[in-house]
Amino acid sequence: MNLLKNILLLFMLGIVGGAFALPNEKRSDPSGSVASISSTERDAQWRLEGERRYRANCGRCHQAPHKLPPRAMAMAIRHMRVRAMLTDDDMKYILYYMTR
Amino acid sequence: MSKIGIIAVVCLAATVVSAAQDAPPLEVDPDPAPVLSGYLAFVPTWDSGNPTLVSIISPVVLVPLSRDFVVESRASFEGDFQQRNGNSGDFTGAIEKSLDYAEIDYIGNRYVTLTAGRFLTPFNIFNERLYPNWIRNTQTDPLIFPIGTGSDNGAMVRGGISVENDLNVNYTFYFSTLSTGKYFESERHAGARVSLFLPVERLEIGMSTQHVLQGTRVNRYGFHFQWQPARPPFEVRSEVAYSREEGKGLWAEGAYRFRSSPSPELSRLQVVARTQVFRLGTLPGSNPDLPSTDMKRTEFGANYYLTDGWKALASYGRTFTSAGDSNIWTVGMTYRFVIPLVPSQ
Repeated sequence: MNLLKNILLLFMLGIVGGAFALPNEKRSDPSGSVASISSTERDAQWRLEGERRYRANCGRCHQAPHKLPPRAMAMAIRHMRVRAMLTDDDMKYILYYMTR
Repeated sequence: MSKIGIIAVVCLAATVVSAAQDAPPLEVDPDPAPVLSGYLAFVPTWDSGNPTLVSIISPVVLVPLSRDFVVESRASFEGDFQQRNGNSGDFTGAIEKSLDYAEIDYIGNRYVTLTAGRFLTPFNIFNERLYPNWIRNTQTDPLIFPIGTGSDNGAMVRGGISVENDLNVNYTFYFSTLSTGKYFESERHAGARVSLFLPVERLEIGMSTQHVLQGTRVNRYGFHFQWQPARPPFEVRSEVAYSREEGKGLWAEGAYRFRSSPSPELSRLQVVARTQVFRLGTLPGSNPDLPSTDMKRTEFGANYYLTDGWKALASYGRTFTSAGDSNIWTVGMTYRFVIPLVPSQ
């Protein structure tokens, strides 16, 4: 039982430490990963992926895409990151899909 | 301890490093702005022939302090108005006010979000994700809902990790302090929840555990399951809760939306069925919000989605106890609103 507690403690310390140790990757160069395709194709791909992730995650409670201004949607998606356990990638793709 | 500890740290590091190889997809991320959201619900309920006019207003305020710091809060004002003589006389009752959560979230990085303040207890999923009346498919609370749920004052670390885009691992660890202040009641306990979500299959399973650090020092365990297949408009939700002292039970709910119907009117209709069971623990009454006797309940209902915000509903259920059986009816309306607090763009 003590071993289990120790593992749990170390895991928690690790992830809390990671919150400050890892770089905060809020911006990225989209051309770095998809340089070989046009911006139109890239936009379509991101929308499609955003819609897929919206349906898989948000669609479990929401009936249809609820359109909001981009800044309000940026707020709502942060709220749902906590409430609905979205991953960082889910958050960005869905935000892209919901604001275009 | 040292060997196990090293293994745990190595496993964690390997997980983070392997996941970090997925580049973030987007650069577009507008600055967040404040939002006022929430819902209204009017759900008259007839339990054993006695009517209760359940009326709820629950505003949610979301305020960004920066791109990474967010303050969010939800309050509830609920009036359960009952007739003075049970099923005759005028309706009366007080409006109960509660602060469900008032927390500050810090988005640390791709894998970690830190939360401090008053937050919804992350035990199973109903409390955090399905509780608002405009979201839940069946309006009455599950019988096991009082086990391990409510609000906590403390701190929480949580996050999600994508593994090869077809598996999300979500975790939550938290602790809370004892508080008896009005509107700020909280137990002193520690707990964790881990869940696996398969986004392609839209299947989620998870486990919760909670250890109370006061009074009877009970342990509580939970298990949740949710499946919403991509093609048929069908969904299944289920939770199990176990506390040796307080009691144990489960509920399972299936809902079908006639989304593929050629009739636009019929496509807004959802039918739902839920069955549940509760068994008393070794210390009946230790959790006064739980039923005072063993109980089973099965319900059938229909929801009609007028828009994304408006929902009309009705349901019928039958409750089975050793003291006798009874009917429970609900009918009503819910409305969910979202209001940006800054002008567009």
